[in-house]
Amino acid sequence: MRSRITVIKGLVGLLTLGLLVSCTTNVQVEGSVPTPLVAKIPANVAIFYDEKFKNFVHTEELDTEGTWNINLGEKNLEFFRNLSNAMFSSVTEVDSPEMTPEQQVQFDGLIIPTIDEYGFLTPNIGVLPFYSVSIRYQVLILNKQNERVAKYEVVGYGKSEGNSFTAGDAVGDATMLAIRDGGQQIAVELRHQPAIIEWLSQRNLD
Amino acid sequence: MLSVVRAFKAQPRFVLVTTIVLLLGGCASARVEQSRTATTGMTTEESLVILSRASYNERETEESFTDCLSDELRGGKRPIRLMSEAEFKDQLYPWFEPRTAPDSSDDLARLFAQPGVQQRIDENNVRFIAWIDGDTITTDRGGSFSCTVSTVGGGCFGVTYWEEDASYEAAIWDLQNLTTAGEISADASGTSYIAGLVLPIPIMARPGNAACKGLALQLKEFLQSDG
Repeated sequence: MRSRITVIKGLVGLLTLGLLVSCTTNVQVEGSVPTPLVAKIPANVAIFYDEKFKNFVHTEELDTEGTWNINLGEKNLEFFRNLSNAMFSSVTEVDSPEMTPEQQVQFDGLIIPTIDEYGFLTPNIGVLPFYSVSIRYQVLILNKQNERVAKYEVVGYGKSEGNSFTAGDAVGDATMLAIRDGGQQIAVELRHQPAIIEWLSQRNLD
Repeated sequence: MLSVVRAFKAQPRFVLVTTIVLLLGGCASARVEQSRTATTGMTTEESLVILSRASYNERETEESFTDCLSDELRGGKRPIRLMSEAEFKDQLYPWFEPRTAPDSSDDLARLFAQPGVQQRIDENNVRFIAWIDGDTITTDRGGSFSCTVSTVGGGCFGVTYWEEDASYEAAIWDLQNLTTAGEISADASGTSYIAGLVLPIPIMARPGNAACKGLALQLKEFLQSDG
């Protein structure tokens, strides 16, 4: 009798677990990482990625669609490493958001990219028949003296076709497109910001 | 032929319904128009890239349409060498992303001035870009159709229909001469039905597919002819 109760409890447990798992969508963002075809900005920079940026996971519970876990940290980091290497003459990763006196001699400045906000819509909750994603990036640039040169913000946007059976893949694809879109704006437009132009010209006078 | 006769003797109703379905299915015709502004004469070594215009609204060329177009162009008697959209965009990142892609062939000279762009295009021997714009929309629907299941059996009854219009355009840019070589448009419409006679019988018109095949055929001829 006791063994039968144990079996029933086990089955109920498995059923509950199954229902919980079926209400959670885990998305691992995948995609190619292109190297931008842009002229290099003539600067030797340090770059700092904080832990949140490196391991960014967006978790959101939707009333109609359960819980979503969207892991974009790994692909986003790979993308930004490639992007920064293509954008500047030399890039060195550092482990602090402030340069040491030795680093101040070595580098022209410090770049700190962060993800401020991530948001997504599914066809059930949005007005468009697509899965769409937006990512708000912030790129902070410090000069040799650890003073703020510029804070540049961009919003990357991506959308993808999909249906209920491929919702996870569609959100993953839209996320990758949003990363590309944000990266494209940084690669093309950052160099034209007046504060950046001034920083580069000032650096040559130092 | 003998097997059809045998099948008809064994299951006459089934064969009759199947024949009607086959006859009615695919009832969509495409109208294709072309305007040429420059000579093409694409060689077998040169490549074409099919790109769909990205937009931030709900109207956007379906991935299935560009996939169909690629398959049609790659196959057949005189296949065209294609470079995939994803590979092309990666190789030329960030210059063919939604915010940076050139709006007209007049912007090509500005684009080619960017470092490495000309070299990448030459390395991949890309001669033409075909920008695809358009979509398939449902213009009308009606009828009544329902399926039921019970302990004694089930079935579907009624008729439902929907009418679709497919309208697509291809703007062909010549990357060698930095000009627009021409434009091709393909329009198709058709009505699809699902009839419930215990079993649901779909009769699909597929105007998107008809537009794809019409556009692909004309695009091949446009690019490969010396005109």
